[in-house]
Amino acid sequence: MNFYIVLIINAIFINNFVLSQFLGICPFLGVSKKTDTALGMGFAVIFVMGIASIITYAMSLLLDILDAQYLRTIVFILVIAALVQLVEMVIKKFSPSLYSALGVYLPLITTNCAVLGVAIMNVTNFVKVNLLISFINGAASGVGFTLAILLLAGIRERLERSQVPEPFKGFPITLIIAGVMSMAFAAFSGMVF
Amino acid sequence: MEIIIPFIILGGLALIFAIILAIAGIKLAVVQDKRVEQVYGLLSGANCGGCGYAGCEAFAKALVEGKAGINDCPSTSKESKEQIANIIGGEIKELEETIVVCTCNGGKRCLDKYEYQGYGDCASIELLAGGRKACPTGCIGAGKCTDVCAFHAVDILGDGVAVVNQKKCTQCGNCVISCPKNLMKRIPAKAKVYIACSNHGKGKEVRSICKVGCIGCGLCVKVCEDNAITMVDGLPVFDYDKCINCKKCVEKCPSKCILNLD
Repeated sequence: MNFYIVLIINAIFINNFVLSQFLGICPFLGVSKKTDTALGMGFAVIFVMGIASIITYAMSLLLDILDAQYLRTIVFILVIAALVQLVEMVIKKFSPSLYSALGVYLPLITTNCAVLGVAIMNVTNFVKVNLLISFINGAASGVGFTLAILLLAGIRERLERSQVPEPFKGFPITLIIAGVMSMAFAAFSGMVF
Repeated sequence: MEIIIPFIILGGLALIFAIILAIAGIKLAVVQDKRVEQVYGLLSGANCGGCGYAGCEAFAKALVEGKAGINDCPSTSKESKEQIANIIGGEIKELEETIVVCTCNGGKRCLDKYEYQGYGDCASIELLAGGRKACPTGCIGAGKCTDVCAFHAVDILGDGVAVVNQKKCTQCGNCVISCPKNLMKRIPAKAKVYIACSNHGKGKEVRSICKVGCIGCGLCVKVCEDNAITMVDGLPVFDYDKCINCKKCVEKCPSKCILNLD
């Protein structure tokens, strides 16, 4: 049990996907203008990461049997793309309101390197991995992504109303903030269990 | 030969996914009635909300599903409504055509009770001691009706009262609902004159606060040769079926509160 708690804290804070591993920076900067869209993107990422971890774990087992681990990356991309497509269809059919809420972010996730990253790290970074660990790591990484994007969106909303020096307005100050946030999250790496 | 293995693996996976997605695409296809799009194209596209649905798209869907009637839409033209009725069936009711007017002409000619300073629209001013005007039924003039009008047909002009531009107005009724004083009223489209005051008070009281308020003198009733005007509770009421648009009441009114629509 203790292992799972450490796993979750690790995925959310210590090895936060955006702020410690620098994956998924594109949506982190692109969709963080408003907190509600950031939250929508975050939930979509949690959703896809959780399911993708399960499927890609099964795929990696298959590749192990065939002794073709070198195909991992390309197979995972294929799996994630197909999965997102399928998930989009299912949501469109059964929950039109969720579909319109997630909107364009759902297909965007296909190209989100954080999703591919979590899939590959699941099968390479653990000494011993099983389905549950893989799923928890995936979902918790998604939560970490949501936390980071939500924090940045909140800061950016405040920035809109504050006086930023002219040369720093817009993206420059956002990048500086992202850097400062990353440094703050680096402090978590000192956590001892 | 080794090149065959990744080819088979990837090709096989792609094939499996393609089959799954193709089946899912058929099974999970969202069936949308083609008529929805046609009907949506014919609606006015104003998204005014007069029908009670969230925009024209939702209304088009409700129409095709039979949940709503075409007569619920106040802003689509009659020709388009006929075309829609051809598509989805059902009949168009001949609605009595109306126009919307603001039944207050006070504005700057009406005294202020206090000076409102702060954020808000008519509704929030109304909450503060019943509006800033001395007249309890006076147009506040903060433009709530202007804000809700999707057609830019209502405006607060120089006089400080709402004026409806009849050419732009589509009778959606948003201003009628939004006015906290209930001053926006529907009158028959054939009306050429209307009473632009809603104060039922006695002549002296009205005169003391508003230069253009109806004092209830009844001169319009006397001057009307067709008995189209009756005094009800201190205000003239028009019977537009009898009115012949002679405009004598407009000339005679001492407060100039009967307005000419031409």
